[in-house]
Amino acid sequence: MDFGPLPQLVVSGILTGLLFALISVGLTLIFGVMDVVNFAHGEFLMLAMYLTFGLALIGINPILALPVVSVLMFVLGALVYRVLIRRLLAGPPSAVVFGTFGLLVFLQGAAQYLFTSDFRSVPNPPFQGTLHLGSVNLGEAQLVAGFGALLLTALVFAFVEYTEPGRALRALSEDRVAAQLMGIDMQRMNALAFGLGIACVGAAGTLLMLTYQAYPRVGTEFALTAFVVVALGGFGSVQGALAGAVLVGLVEVLGGFYISPALKMVPVYLLYLLVVLVRPQGLLGRR
Amino acid sequence: MTVANERAPLLEIRGLSKRFGSLRALDGLDLHVPGGGLTALIGPNGAGKTTAFNCISGALRPTGGSVRFEAREIAGAPYHQVARLGLVRTYQVVQPFAEMSVLDAVTVGALLRRPHVAEARAFAGSTIEALGLGPKRDIIARSLTIADKKRLELARALATEPRLLLLDEVMAGLTPTECAAAVELLREIVARGITIVMVEHVMEVLMPLADHVVVLATGKVIFDGKPSEAVNDSRVIEAYLGRP
Amino acid sequence: MTIRSHLNVLGIVATALIALALGYHNAFVLNLVFVGLVFAVLGQSWNWISGYAGQISFGHALFFGCGAYASALFAVHHGSPWLGLLAGAGVAAILAVTVGFPCFALRGHYFSIATIAVAAIAEITATNVDALGKANGFEMPILPAGLGTLQFTEKGHYVLVALGLFVVAQLATIALERSRLGFYLRAIRLNQEAAASVGVDARAAKLTTYAACGALAALAGSLYAQQALYVGPEDTLGLPISIAIALVGVVGGLSTVWGPALGAFVYVALARYGGAKLGGTGNGVDLLLYGALILIIVSWRPDGLAGIVHSIRRSMKRRVVEPST
Repeated sequence: MDFGPLPQLVVSGILTGLLFALISVGLTLIFGVMDVVNFAHGEFLMLAMYLTFGLALIGINPILALPVVSVLMFVLGALVYRVLIRRLLAGPPSAVVFGTFGLLVFLQGAAQYLFTSDFRSVPNPPFQGTLHLGSVNLGEAQLVAGFGALLLTALVFAFVEYTEPGRALRALSEDRVAAQLMGIDMQRMNALAFGLGIACVGAAGTLLMLTYQAYPRVGTEFALTAFVVVALGGFGSVQGALAGAVLVGLVEVLGGFYISPALKMVPVYLLYLLVVLVRPQGLLGRR
Repeated sequence: MTVANERAPLLEIRGLSKRFGSLRALDGLDLHVPGGGLTALIGPNGAGKTTAFNCISGALRPTGGSVRFEAREIAGAPYHQVARLGLVRTYQVVQPFAEMSVLDAVTVGALLRRPHVAEARAFAGSTIEALGLGPKRDIIARSLTIADKKRLELARALATEPRLLLLDEVMAGLTPTECAAAVELLREIVARGITIVMVEHVMEVLMPLADHVVVLATGKVIFDGKPSEAVNDSRVIEAYLGRP
Repeated sequence: MTIRSHLNVLGIVATALIALALGYHNAFVLNLVFVGLVFAVLGQSWNWISGYAGQISFGHALFFGCGAYASALFAVHHGSPWLGLLAGAGVAAILAVTVGFPCFALRGHYFSIATIAVAAIAEITATNVDALGKANGFEMPILPAGLGTLQFTEKGHYVLVALGLFVVAQLATIALERSRLGFYLRAIRLNQEAAASVGVDARAAKLTTYAACGALAALAGSLYAQQALYVGPEDTLGLPISIAIALVGVVGGLSTVWGPALGAFVYVALARYGGAKLGGTGNGVDLLLYGALILIIVSWRPDGLAGIVHSIRRSMKRRVVEPST
């Protein structure tokens, strides 16, 4: 039986979705723990992509760069929390929104100024081959990126479920006051959550460089998709982010094929509006 | 607003229920409040008094039952809609518009019946005077004392020209002198024809003031009658002190 | 500030700009003033929803583009943009209510994200629809100058029309602050539940505000298109435009009458030195500076430039007691 391009599209959609999942997990984690929608999330993706590019220029390929970038982004995230986010949290709720917005503008401007608008891709990217599984043709790079993202997302999930700091994060996510009364150091955990969230999106950036190019506005393109994923999955839910991401990946790829490549994002954005209208808490969310 | 039947109660609640998960905060509440006068709603902590206010006023959606205000069903109606119909509540923990002046805060209430800002402001001003906050009209709400904040909340509610006022522990945190002044104020409000249902713990204050006492325990009404009878009722004593 | 002082400032600004428009024939400067006025109006419209109503929008370009395309289409097909101005404002108001209705019942971030999503859909649509010129947009024919065609040979006349819209926006804002809606919005921002307890319908108040600000932004868009004689998706609907509008509002100071004007002034001045056009897609220095400015303001001075100006005025008037608005 010939399903036409469907199997190819489904696999491609899932792989795309897995990458979205890694980006979105960071966003949802930050929201869950400290109730912050990080409007600058996409810009950190962009930074990681440029960082990966830079490392590639001195001979470190993206796979080797992955741990380096992840750690650096974690440190950056914790720093950004300490220097900026913590201060914003002490103010009115709008301060956080405008603060992360300001960060978005600043980082994008910095990227444009330092790196110009040129598109940058990793020279001699690894995994140039194509796998043939029946009627499905998969780029090796896309496969590696997808599975890498899945692995890392699973690691994050395991961290949150089974480790002590991870459980503290979940406690904060469920009831901030009670968690603090039980002795959880909220500032330290917030910094951890933010650092972890940025590390996730950073790792996603590195994996993305296997198949994509870096340019100053790349962050905003992916950020909106991440918001859709998080809303669909439920703000604050890690499993929700995974489920939502795969769904969004499928919608994007299938939409791109059956409607038009130029319009592929429209069904994704419409999906967000549908979620808001019909089920704002998303598939697995509480808030 | 004319009530078709003079004898029909202003507020008629039947079988009002509210569940929070498996917790039955209200379990079939029945209450009739006649027009005019003051009804005291008392009961031990956790009896469901504030939950009842929340469900009646529309701040929370009841899980079951009926609330009829002036012969109109309002259970589940939007919060602001109920206030527009003339049923307004105040909060146990005051909810001021912290950055607004006293006059501006009360004007927000007055704007309900008087869409013209100048008119609303004038009416707010006279309401403020009537409640003894006149000299403080330009003071920012957050710098007021607790007693004044409560007066402000009362003024704001009165500025909407309600028919029924639900007061949630308006005496809490007041000194005896402030309490006495509050009692006088409440008497004046009732004299103006506004019906009051008030939750209170300060029993001595309530007895001379209330026409009618309702005692709530574990989400149900266990006594409904005259104040003098409430103190001697065995079910009431048991609810507060437990079985001997 | 009292109504009288607002009107005084407005009078001075208007007189100065009229003199400039009629007397100084430097096209470059007049163009900057024009763009500044357009952004002051856009920033003010953004201020109504994101400041006064407390619902932060990051997709305001939607309305700007709506007005631009509507008036341009009417100019091309009917020889005059005026009905397009009305149509643009009308469509913008309808879009506003459609987006706001489900979102205003939820927490703030749902709305903010929705504004980005809807603006993105609009941009993609405009980029792919033939009738709208697709990615390249379309140009408007040069018609005989005059109020009927809303085209002028003198740059100064564009400035005058923009000034007219600016004056309307300022007067509307002054009126809003003192109106019933203004009181209600303030109450909602301070304590939405307490406001509801005295009969304030928060959703209705926000929808009214959003519809009005959409219409205003659309008018600004129509005006801009008339001056540029061109509309295109990237120039009028892109995220950089939304970002620019938001930063004008934040830098200038939210929920103030003169904040957006101050923010627009800073924006145009900095953009000039950054060497960038409308969207700020130059070498990024301007964005860098704005971003840093926003971060500083948010951390240190949330009421923006207007707040700083207000403090300076207050310290100068230490002896005089200001009557409440």
